[in-house]
Amino acid sequence: MKVINTRFGQVEYDPAKTLHFPTGMIGFENLREFIVMPNIKRGPLFWIQSVEDPEIAFVLTDPTNFFVDYRVAPDDNEKEKLGMKDGDDCHALVVVTVNSGSDFTFNLLAPILYAPGPNRAIQVVLEHSNYSTKMPLPKV
Amino acid sequence: MLVLTRKVGEGIRIGDDITITVVEMKGGGIRLGIVAPPTVKIHRQEVYDRILEENKEATQWIIADLDSLSDSLPMLKEVK
Repeated sequence: MKVINTRFGQVEYDPAKTLHFPTGMIGFENLREFIVMPNIKRGPLFWIQSVEDPEIAFVLTDPTNFFVDYRVAPDDNEKEKLGMKDGDDCHALVVVTVNSGSDFTFNLLAPILYAPGPNRAIQVVLEHSNYSTKMPLPKV
Repeated sequence: MLVLTRKVGEGIRIGDDITITVVEMKGGGIRLGIVAPPTVKIHRQEVYDRILEENKEATQWIIADLDSLSDSLPMLKEVK
């Protein structure tokens, strides 16, 4: 086990079990390894902490919690980047921008494709979509 | 940065399989035609920049805001 000092305190993690981003996140291409942090609160949000930069952490969620029709599937090139084999599962996660005062938005334009088998993820940009980087919570 | 001058109908070739052609010049805008393999992703620069800015902004959260947000969100299904 290893320990890093993040801006949220010390985090112990197993280097063999980090979530690998082979191409990083957009704008953070050099950060390849993340620790998946369970939210201590119940709820659909969790966060990933960069191993390489203790300042960097992203809040993520399964978008289908909020946008039932939201679907993203990897193309062949993306499957290869994810190291997926036939029959491997892949699902979409999105970055949640959390501001103060319970103000938050979802980045539906650039979701993260996550393959649990190889434990890899990539951020992709959706083409020909009307989704925005700042999608508010849909009103029920 | 490599800078080239092209006329309408002329183009450039990048590598073995990407061709960019100047299709039309109209009202200060330039229409480009791009031929590339389907695996090559093509995006307007401003779309990419917007995502980069959004990612930067998304790293600036604090745990107190996440906690209060988690309390207010309905749990629709179990987290994977």
